[in-house]
Amino acid sequence: MATFEEYIQQNEDRDGIRFTWNVWPSSRIEATRLVVPLGCLYQPIKERSDLPPIQYDPVLCTRNNCRAILNPLCQVDYRAKLWVCNFCFQRNPFPPQYAAISEQHQPAELLPAFSTIEYTITRAQCMPPIFLLVVDTCMDEEELGSLKDSLQMSLSLIPPNSLIGLITFGKMVQVHELGTEGCSKSYVFRGTKDLTAKQIQDMLGLTKVPAAPQQQQQQPGQPLRGPQTQAVPPANRFLQPLAKCDMSLTDLIGELQRDPWPVPQGKRSLRSTGAALSIAVGLLECTYPNTGARIMMFLGGPCSQGPGQVVNDDLKQPIRSHHDIQKDNAKYMKKAIKHYESLATRSATNGHSVDIYSCALDQTGLMEMKQCCNSTGGHMVMADSFNSSLFKQTFQRVFARDQKGELKMAFNGTLEVKCSRELKIQGGIGSCVSLNVKSPLVSDTEIGMGNTVQWKMCTFTPSTTMALFFEVVNQHSAPIPQGGRGCIQFITQYQHTSGQRRIRVTTIARNWADATTTLHHISAGFDQEAAAVLMSRMVVYKAETDDGPDVLRWVDRMLIRLCQKFGEYNKDDPNSFRLSENFSLYPQFMYHLRRSQFLQVFNNSPDETSFYRHMLMREDLTQSLIMIQPILYSYSFNGPPEPVLLDTSSIQADRILLMDTFFQILIFHGETIAQWRSLKYQDMPEYENFRQLLQAPVDDAHEILQTRFPMPRYIDTEQGGSQARFLLSKVNPSQTHNNMYSYGGDGGAPVLTDDVSLQVFMDHLKKLAVSSTA
Amino acid sequence: GVVHAGFSKLWGQENYDLLQCPNVLPPFKIEPPKIALGQEFLDAANCSPDIFRCTMTKIPETNTLLQKSRLPLGILIHPFKDLDHLPVIQCSTIVRCRACRTYINPFVFFVDMKRWKCNLCYRVNELPEEFQFDPVSKTYGDPSRRPEIKSSTIEYIAPSEYMLRPPQPAVYLFLLDVSHAAIESEYLHVFCNVLTSCLSNLPGDARTQVGFIAFNSALHFYSLADGLSQPHEMTVLDIDDIFLPCPDNLIVNLHERKELISDLLAQLPTRFNNSYDRGSALGAALQAAHKMIASTGGRITVFQASLPSIGPGALTVREDPSQRAGAEVHHLNPANDFYKRLALECSGQQIAVDLFIVNSQYCDLATISGISRFSGGCIHHFPLFKASRTPQATSLERTLKRYLTRKIGFEAVMRIRCTRGLSIHTFHGNFFVRSTDLLSLPNVNPEAGFGMQVSIDESLSDLHTVCFQAALLYTSSKGERRIRVHTLCVPIASTLPDVMASADQQCIVGLLAKMAVDRSMQSSLADAREAFINVAIDILSSYKLSLNLGSGPSGLLAPNCMKLLPLYISALLKHIAFRTGTSTRLDDRVKAMCDMKSLPLYFLIQKIYPDLYPVHNLEDQNTTLNVDGEAIPQPPHLQLSARSLDSKGAFLMDMGEHMVLLVGQNVSHTFLNEALGVPDYNSITEEMFDLPNLDTPHNQRLNNFINYLNDEKPFMATLQIVRENSPNRNVFIEHLIEDRIETALSYHEFLQHLKTQVK
Ligand SMILES: [Zn+2]
Ligand SMILES: [Zn+2]
Repeated sequence: MATFEEYIQQNEDRDGIRFTWNVWPSSRIEATRLVVPLGCLYQPIKERSDLPPIQYDPVLCTRNNCRAILNPLCQVDYRAKLWVCNFCFQRNPFPPQYAAISEQHQPAELLPAFSTIEYTITRAQCMPPIFLLVVDTCMDEEELGSLKDSLQMSLSLIPPNSLIGLITFGKMVQVHELGTEGCSKSYVFRGTKDLTAKQIQDMLGLTKVPAAPQQQQQQPGQPLRGPQTQAVPPANRFLQPLAKCDMSLTDLIGELQRDPWPVPQGKRSLRSTGAALSIAVGLLECTYPNTGARIMMFLGGPCSQGPGQVVNDDLKQPIRSHHDIQKDNAKYMKKAIKHYESLATRSATNGHSVDIYSCALDQTGLMEMKQCCNSTGGHMVMADSFNSSLFKQTFQRVFARDQKGELKMAFNGTLEVKCSRELKIQGGIGSCVSLNVKSPLVSDTEIGMGNTVQWKMCTFTPSTTMALFFEVVNQHSAPIPQGGRGCIQFITQYQHTSGQRRIRVTTIARNWADATTTLHHISAGFDQEAAAVLMSRMVVYKAETDDGPDVLRWVDRMLIRLCQKFGEYNKDDPNSFRLSENFSLYPQFMYHLRRSQFLQVFNNSPDETSFYRHMLMREDLTQSLIMIQPILYSYSFNGPPEPVLLDTSSIQADRILLMDTFFQILIFHGETIAQWRSLKYQDMPEYENFRQLLQAPVDDAHEILQTRFPMPRYIDTEQGGSQARFLLSKVNPSQTHNNMYSYGGDGGAPVLTDDVSLQVFMDHLKKLAVSSTA
Repeated sequence: GVVHAGFSKLWGQENYDLLQCPNVLPPFKIEPPKIALGQEFLDAANCSPDIFRCTMTKIPETNTLLQKSRLPLGILIHPFKDLDHLPVIQCSTIVRCRACRTYINPFVFFVDMKRWKCNLCYRVNELPEEFQFDPVSKTYGDPSRRPEIKSSTIEYIAPSEYMLRPPQPAVYLFLLDVSHAAIESEYLHVFCNVLTSCLSNLPGDARTQVGFIAFNSALHFYSLADGLSQPHEMTVLDIDDIFLPCPDNLIVNLHERKELISDLLAQLPTRFNNSYDRGSALGAALQAAHKMIASTGGRITVFQASLPSIGPGALTVREDPSQRAGAEVHHLNPANDFYKRLALECSGQQIAVDLFIVNSQYCDLATISGISRFSGGCIHHFPLFKASRTPQATSLERTLKRYLTRKIGFEAVMRIRCTRGLSIHTFHGNFFVRSTDLLSLPNVNPEAGFGMQVSIDESLSDLHTVCFQAALLYTSSKGERRIRVHTLCVPIASTLPDVMASADQQCIVGLLAKMAVDRSMQSSLADAREAFINVAIDILSSYKLSLNLGSGPSGLLAPNCMKLLPLYISALLKHIAFRTGTSTRLDDRVKAMCDMKSLPLYFLIQKIYPDLYPVHNLEDQNTTLNVDGEAIPQPPHLQLSARSLDSKGAFLMDMGEHMVLLVGQNVSHTFLNEALGVPDYNSITEEMFDLPNLDTPHNQRLNNFINYLNDEKPFMATLQIVRENSPNRNVFIEHLIEDRIETALSYHEFLQHLKTQVK
């Protein structure tokens, strides 16, 4: 038998799933005592190049309140042509087209290798994806120029059959008609007015049945409110197939001009982000409800008027900080959040997603707008400038393609979860909204978005990861037969980028164990990485509503309880405390989580916090772990690069460090290296090895920069450099000015911080864990 | 008696018994009566009657005398008439009376070489040294050699103290109805063609600006920004709370953006072809236009094809078509004050709004005309317009071409002053009265006429003359601030016969028509009609009184100077503006009333009583030479009656903007072949809108005559050639107003009615 480590890896590769516990406690009461909840991280459309193309519909369990999909875990009676549902034990006949089925002749969905399988529903109507660009024009020429270049570039990356639309805004909001002949044309709305979807559709004539006089040829028409209206399906004016309009749209984007309204000295541009987004949402809502669509909004600053306003136009009044929010001194925040949340809900309901590409030196109101991305699965990208490679590369990667040459982008998806009767579903945390589908499978205790067995994911990518939580409801008095297994099925229906309707099904099973007798089986199946990420999502989800200190206390309490439960120790003897290997890293993850930007918000702006949290709520396990605990590599003449502790002791004069925090890639040159570099040794032929040493982390960084989404901020710094603070704020302050003297002078560079070091933290943790009074 | 009659004839003062003279019309052009000031120099210097005209060539010395005459006292002015010889003066000081600000004029008194006495208030003013200098001969000497003293019409280039701000550039903003009715009329084709061809000839300088708004249920703005490869149309749907979609590039420099403008004009005619939007948000479009050019001022030209049906200023149909022939006429007054209020706002920002109405259905001109009437604009009307109808298209084309290229004065004000003892009390025309004697005219055009009623407040018996002075301060299209000054001097009359003999019948008719429009609005059309008749009765009664004939000879006597008055009044009673009993669309009536208020007298008279000429025998007529030395036949004027016609003849009716040539069925073949260029009578089609140019004397004479008539006009009239048996002949016949038309009295019956009333 493989080790648990191998087992976990296999499962992740095959099914895109990581459970906190891989052996499940068989009773409710034991499950709650495990501290870390039973849950998983699941990538609904993890890239799998080896999946067979299945062109038929899945076979469903006939029991009305089950409807689970036939899978390799079902028992099959080949002679009777029956299968037994592994969730409800209903005996189901195979449909007629399965008449030829036999043990030698099994359909793919019954093969154990295809515990994850994908169906293409060929009878469903193919809809090309829709991209609606919403572009802020309140920016300087250079910024707008860069943005225009990127937008024009994106037209070559978007599939030509996609529908595309363009809305621009500044003081006013303009909805551009595409594919017009002659004059370009736009509809202009006041940025201060919030229009309902009904008003928008009435005004843009989007509800009218085409009714041209009979002798009239059907041609693209004009807007109207008269009794008779235009002759084409209405949305065509604003959402055109890219292939039909890409020349004119390229020109149109090329000719976009800065918002022409004068901005007096000391004032901000009047920017109508909220109204523009509202119109975009309304436009899609009444033209293509329940069809995959992506609003891509490009922002150069904060919304300063109208609905969704986050700041006024007086430059003397800065945008709210965490301190303002804490002091309840953020005048526009609540109203703005309400506006954007309602747009997020409307978008999500219709299956439309919202991306925000925010490129400005100051905040743009991501904090208020975050729900638009978080609820719909849209991207949130934060950069200083549209001219930065951070934005340009990231935006390009939105349109990344898979091996088959198709966009890594799924639309209008729903994720449904079914489980064995011993389990109930507590909720999910991810970039989605609850579809509020009630079921007997819904647990009374909610974690994240609960009270449902289905979630809407308006857009997602192969790396999109959902966290799902389960409650064991089996009573201790009702033992599960030996060898019994619990099952969970994940059914993801979505619109593939090709337009096809697809259904991805993953069915998994795990063994039950009685924790009272065989706790070691259960603890052996603990996946500390999955647990760390899952706990982080829970914590951040809490932090979005709760106060900082409460959340931190909860993290500490949970950690102490886990240590109490799974540590080996003698009561009240901290030195005796031990954790087994598959738990040993967990306290460190929690330590870094506590100090991370996810929970320590005051060093960041509210927008940054929203952005960081947004990423944590969607990324896969590996990336999330990097966010929680950055990776540090050391480069020296002493050997190949090696991972080193995220600790001040790793900062050495003769080393180069490469730190990956997910959001930043930082190269830090130790003091000596920095001196040599400034003396340009690397340019001298006799110091070729130094040149190579300098180059090695750059090459490695480049590799990460090439693939990561969003592209990280790249920082090149050195001992004493001003940007070195990014490194110093992450490393464990094992040596600070408080304790450096006790460690002596040659250990490494001291860090100026009052944080507790990992050592202090661990000491404290041990003490509390072993305490008989805690 | 005989001697007296003989003298009277000599002085042009003999009586006419109108009932005995059916052909009262003089054969040739009716010249305005001369004002005799008793000094040749002053008579020569006096203002041209084409510009300034008083209802009397002598002013009664007292109000009592005026009342006795029953004549209306007033002046008509055509202040910005195109002039061939206009003295223009640039000087550092414009010489004006220090008390009443009258401009120095030929009728002032020079006390000595250094001082002059104002002829309006009698203050003695210093004469600046500079005034001794004659800018024409460039020598010093007698002040009377100055152009200001030699001519009653003069223009000053104003020094900077006449400017409240730098003179504005020429700004032209076009508002184009693109509702379904507008698209069906296809007027945009004509508009865009004409404007495209006139773009280089729009009055203005390097700063000239142009912009466009199209409107149906929504407003469509056109950004013509630098760097655009094509115009960008911006549609604003929220018309109830109108706003501009962008702060600039909606109104752009004509010279810098000519290509974009031409591109737009090429696209506009078909741009809305597939729109079936029946709404017309005129009010919102005007509000937007006001916002667009409020900072500069300028001219807004509106093309309106349908009833403004949506948004601010929306209107509903008020006209009941079944009542078009009724005796009572309703809805002459505006349905709301939206257009008037907006016009006053426009006026305050130096914006005039001109209307081109190309409607096929009722568009409530009574209401929407307010936008022009109170902003100093003008109104053109093309009822039942379809661009496919040649004469209509031609008419619009010519009107528009003239409109676009004629002189224009911006940010203008006109002040009328008169000699102490007189006062001006009621103004007629399109303007806003800013203070008692100051008219605000955001734009002034060469076809704008004005009228003022005058009262005598004090006895003028000490005076020999009285004066009126009109000063028009405006900015030329080249950005110069200019003042055009007209001064009219009229002598005083002390006896009733003298007063009666001084009547200017055309001027009186012009003023009466304006007063009747006011009466129709304030009271009723029936009252206005009754007032016309009463004026005729009263004047003829007082004339009879002035003759002191006792209960002498019967008949209906009129002096020579007023023998046409009953004819004109009878024509007015049958005019579209005032007629009853004949089906008349309300908009057409309102437009006719607007014309009454604002047309210069010459055009107005032609509207009231068109000119009719026989043209089949031009070779027999006397000739006159035109400026090119060509002989122009001078056929006599004919009375507008069927008895003037003859089936062997051909008759040309000149109604100002339109001419109709009616060809009798027995006209000579020579005329058909050589004048008209058709082989026979039936070859005159229903669609003959041109007289060909042939190499025959007959044709050349006819063409020369028609061209001669057109020379008098601001632009060529359209021509329609009609057979007398054609269904189209009505366009001619309906103007034979001396004959009985439906229930309306013939001229003769009208005279008989007057006779019974004259005491
Ligand atoms: Zn089942
Ligand atoms: Zn004076």
